[in-house]
This record gives sequence, C-alpha cells and structure tokens, in this order.
Amino acid sequence: MSQNSRRTRVRQLAESVWPGRTVNGYANLIAARLRKLADEGSTGMLPVSGHGDGAVFFRDGQVVYAESSRTSPPAPRARDLAALGLVPGEAPGSAGAGGTGAAGTVATRSVSRLGGMLELTELIIDALTELLSSESRYAKFRHAEVAPAGHGRPLAVETLLAEVQRRHEVLRQLAPVVTPDTTVSCESSLSLPSAQVSPAQWALLIRADGGTTPRGLAMHLGRSVFGTTIEVYRLLELGLLVVPGRPPAPADGRPGTGISFIRAVSGGRGSDA
Amino acid sequence: MILPEAGDLLTPAMAIDGFRLGCLIDATTGMVLASVQKQDTPAPPTAAAGAADIVSVLTLLNGKLATGEILEDVMITFSDSFFMVRPVGRDTEPRILLLVVADRHRTNLAMAHRSLRDLCASFPA
Repeated sequence: MSQNSRRTRVRQLAESVWPGRTVNGYANLIAARLRKLADEGSTGMLPVSGHGDGAVFFRDGQVVYAESSRTSPPAPRARDLAALGLVPGEAPGSAGAGGTGAAGTVATRSVSRLGGMLELTELIIDALTELLSSESRYAKFRHAEVAPAGHGRPLAVETLLAEVQRRHEVLRQLAPVVTPDTTVSCESSLSLPSAQVSPAQWALLIRADGGTTPRGLAMHLGRSVFGTTIEVYRLLELGLLVVPGRPPAPADGRPGTGISFIRAVSGGRGSDA
Repeated sequence: MILPEAGDLLTPAMAIDGFRLGCLIDATTGMVLASVQKQDTPAPPTAAAGAADIVSVLTLLNGKLATGEILEDVMITFSDSFFMVRPVGRDTEPRILLLVVADRHRTNLAMAHRSLRDLCASFPA
C-alpha cells in the first residue's frame, strides 16, 4: 500500500471522531490509550488525526512504527533496513554475513548500524511527537493491522511517552523564537557574521533562501522536524537565519529564550503523560 | 532506553576505574539512546541533558569563533566526580555523544581520557 493511500485510509478511519475533549486537549487521552494498548499486549494500528493524519503501529504491546503527514515518513528509507539489520524479528547483532561472533565484531557491527537505527527511530519518535499534540484525536484501534514494511525495533510505550513529553517541553522553550511552522530565511545583509556551520546546518541554509519553515526543510530533506527546528534555532542564534520581521538573534538578546535540555527533563510541565 | 542495542557499545567504558554512568546521546535532540550505570549514579536523563546542553553551547561558541576547529572532548571536574563528554566517531559534526561519569577518587583522569579516546576512535565513521 502506498504512503498516500495508507494515509487516506487512516484519515477515513480517524473520521470516526473521538468524543469529549479534556482541558489539555486530546494528548492525555491518546497517551492513556497507548498505555492501555501496551498493557493489553496489542498488535495493530491506532489511527490518529488532528492537524495532520497518522497512525501508531503496535506489535505485542510495543510501538514498532508511527507516521504523520506532518513529519518525514520513515518508510522511503525502509529498503535500507535489511542492510542495517533492522528487519522485523531479527536478533540484535545477528545481521550481516561474515561475522565471527566475537564480542568485538558484534560491537563494531552494532556501531556501524547505530546511525541507521538512530535515523529510523528518530523519525518514528518525531511522528509520535506530532501525533501526541493537543489537537490530535484517535479512532478505533485496528487489531492485527500490519505495520508497513520497514518498521523498526519495538519501543516501550512509557519510554516513548517520556521522550515525547521532553520534546514538547523543548518546543515550548523554543516557541518564543521559532516553531516548526515559523517562516525563516537567510540573513542577506552585508554584515553577515562569519560563522562555522556543520554540513547538516549548511544543507538547511542553502535551502532557506526564499523563506521556508523548519517543517518544510525537514520534509524536503527527509529529516526529523524536531531536530530541524533545533538546528534552525541554532542558525538563528548564529545570525545566519532570520525570522522575517524580527531583528537577527545577536541584536535581539532577549533573556530566557534559550534552549535547555536539562530544563526540559527537570522542569517540564508534564501535560502529555 | 531508546536503543538498547547501543548499550553494548558502552561496555568497554565500564572497565574504567570508578565508572559510574555511561550514556550515548543524540547531540541534536538531546535524546538518550542508551545508558549503563552502577548503583550510586546520577539520574541518566538529567546527566545526559546537561551534557547535551554543554556541547550545544560549545558548538555555538565554535560556530561563532569560526576557526575551523572541531570539538574533541569536554572534561568537567566536580568535587567527587568527573564528567567526560566526547563525540563518537570521526565526523566533524558530533551526531552522537558519549558521556561517562566516574568517581573522582578512584579514577585516573589521564587513563580514563585515553580509554575514552580509544573507544570513540574505534567506532567506525
């Protein structure tokens, strides 16, 4: 089933709208539903709708895949998963031919796959972060609905919810400066500061010339919306990107708008879980 | 733990005298990928978040200085512990960070530094 037709189906399923909205929106309801599905050891698909459509796929009570129409889909890269040893049911460290079985060899193969594992997992968590927004709502769970090819390692629901909550807190911190949907563009003035950027940041800079959003950049590059928003924030800090209508970051100097991961884990408001 | 398999990579770090905590962290998002710890350890999410914040600030500093240098490691000394942070792999862009917390009274800092350098260098780019 193609990506678009699957999303269309998810939307149809999600149109059996959930009743009753809590003070904090639907995110708490979705989190509670995910926990219940985990407790029951469910296998299948939970359609979610809201700003965008998406679904969370379960296998034996653990999340194996998630996608949202507002984040980059993990699926197009699924063809690389077999090479990475991430095909379903495979034991850790068992991929690839020619392994000696020695601990060092297994560790080396694991490391070489770490980037691939991280990339896939990041996109799944990115989709969940979007799906668990306050505007989302879920529809009836579809038992035994098969996850699309290329799903990753099973992830515990509680681990995912904690990570999503942390990300929402980071996004709250960034909101006064930039959100995933804030338009940004390159600073084109002659007083452009000299700066050193990473290859990943450079890829964003050269695509932000005419004005775009972190979400647009992420979708274009197949990257995480959350990660791209943070990188865009860092480019704003460097004065290489600007939000049209606002002064560049160095002249801005507003206190308390910086990103802090430690504040996100210790001082979050915790409305998601 | 998001990537339990990655915990295998931390096993060699546990051989460091005074080892208390090891974490692999996504430098961009601050997400803890894997962690191993001994009993009397600081909370991994908080320690990892602090490490990611420090590297984020240093990356911003490096970006503004624009000297073409890359961050090799960060060594922090508290009264009772060492915090050691090092980018994994040989990329110029630190995608994954290794954090090791060790007991200051039981750790030879130079030896620990060397162990982490060798460990990170052994990771394929």
